[in-house]
Amino acid sequence: MQHPDGRLSLQFEYDARSARTLLHVAEQRQPLKVVRAFHVEGAALAHVHNLSGGVLAGDRLSLHMEIGPRARAQVTSTGATRLYRSRPEAGPAAMTAHVNVGEGALLEYLPDALIPFAGSRFQQNTVVNLEDSAGLFWWETVAPGREARGEIFSYSELQLRFDLRAAGIPVAAERAHLDPPVRPLESPGRLGPYRYFSSFFICYTGTGESTWRELEKQLQELAGKLSSRVIIWGLGRLPAHGLVVRALSQNGRDIHGGLVAFWRVAKRALYGQDAVIPRKVY
Amino acid sequence: MQLADGALPIGSAAHSFGLETLVVEEKLNADSLPRFLRDYLQETGVVEAAFCRAAHRPAGPGWTALNQQLSARKPAPESRAASLTLGRRFLQLFLSLENAADPGGEAHYATAFGYVSRLLRIDEDLSAAVYLQQTVNALVSACQRLMPLGQQRAARLLWELKPAILEAARASDVAEPDAVSAFTPLVEIASMRHVALGTRLFIS
Repeated sequence: MQHPDGRLSLQFEYDARSARTLLHVAEQRQPLKVVRAFHVEGAALAHVHNLSGGVLAGDRLSLHMEIGPRARAQVTSTGATRLYRSRPEAGPAAMTAHVNVGEGALLEYLPDALIPFAGSRFQQNTVVNLEDSAGLFWWETVAPGREARGEIFSYSELQLRFDLRAAGIPVAAERAHLDPPVRPLESPGRLGPYRYFSSFFICYTGTGESTWRELEKQLQELAGKLSSRVIIWGLGRLPAHGLVVRALSQNGRDIHGGLVAFWRVAKRALYGQDAVIPRKVY
Repeated sequence: MQLADGALPIGSAAHSFGLETLVVEEKLNADSLPRFLRDYLQETGVVEAAFCRAAHRPAGPGWTALNQQLSARKPAPESRAASLTLGRRFLQLFLSLENAADPGGEAHYATAFGYVSRLLRIDEDLSAAVYLQQTVNALVSACQRLMPLGQQRAARLLWELKPAILEAARASDVAEPDAVSAFTPLVEIASMRHVALGTRLFIS
């Protein structure tokens, strides 16, 4: 069976005449597709869509995003990313993403959750580079599976590799290999009593120490307020240029609202602007 | 043996690396501790030992890059700072005992241990296993202060963990330490939340 080699290459450029960010689609190959950009307060909002309805076994997908100097981009998905069951002969599906956020640019990457179906195998490899005075709000949430069908950690393998660099120097590196049949996720060394996990990177290269200290204090208070018996939030400064927020939850309902709450506070503190939630059905 | 002893005056007894929060929030107790430590070795242990091995090898990504890579793998600031503090103190202690070159800059405990082991011509496999053994010793020692875990039970636990330690040491023998995976979000969040605990026995 021929597997699709889906590619999407997006270039966001700041247009000084219109004071807007314009989206140029450099390459678009099915099943990946971008829905045309909407303009939201000077930023370009793009919805990335998978025409297959999800990631099929053996898919090879790649996403490239270049956020040019002073451009502002908001990228989201049209819905949750479903990772379908993999047949052994098909090999794991793979998605690679390479992103560069140029000088003075901002990327807000706010996708819906990954849902790994029973028997799915998926590898995701993401590299994000930030140039001087570049900003990033980047979150990702992983569900345990199709809970309504009783699929809890029934996937075969999920590999998530994420590299965040500022001017080439690593500030965050994640290498998760989730292998529920071999490495039980319910262990207190992994997820414990929780099922959903989420990470939210908040970066702005070159921002002064006092700004980060004040923001960290605000977000620590928020983490305390949002944490409960069913969800916990944690917050940490990265080695440089930003913060990471983490959440573990027993359900998917509370995570999205919490992420938005952190985003709102951070966007106001770093950019003096309101965070505008992408227009779509949640 | 002396440099891997928990009594080495570098301050390792002051750190729990997030375990204090897990115990306070009732997510870890004496009954679940053996499973926790086995999984901890399978995840974090393999990563730390891989970086220990990389620092033991003369060829590699370079001292500064190696420590930057390991810092990027530690999202919880208290645990990252603890690793850096212990690493620098370990190096300073060794340099006060032996006439050796300071690699300079930041040093994590795992990389400092590997670097010193190389200078002392201690076998790489043995260095990785010993590093993991002293890591587990320190965690069990912290747990003895956090939960009802007596000396006999702690000694048995450490004894029974030896196969997991050796397996983690074997698994850490890779060409690229940066490629080794680990998935420990509950421990990381516990370390992040440690600063908010009302009463704390440990720095991390």
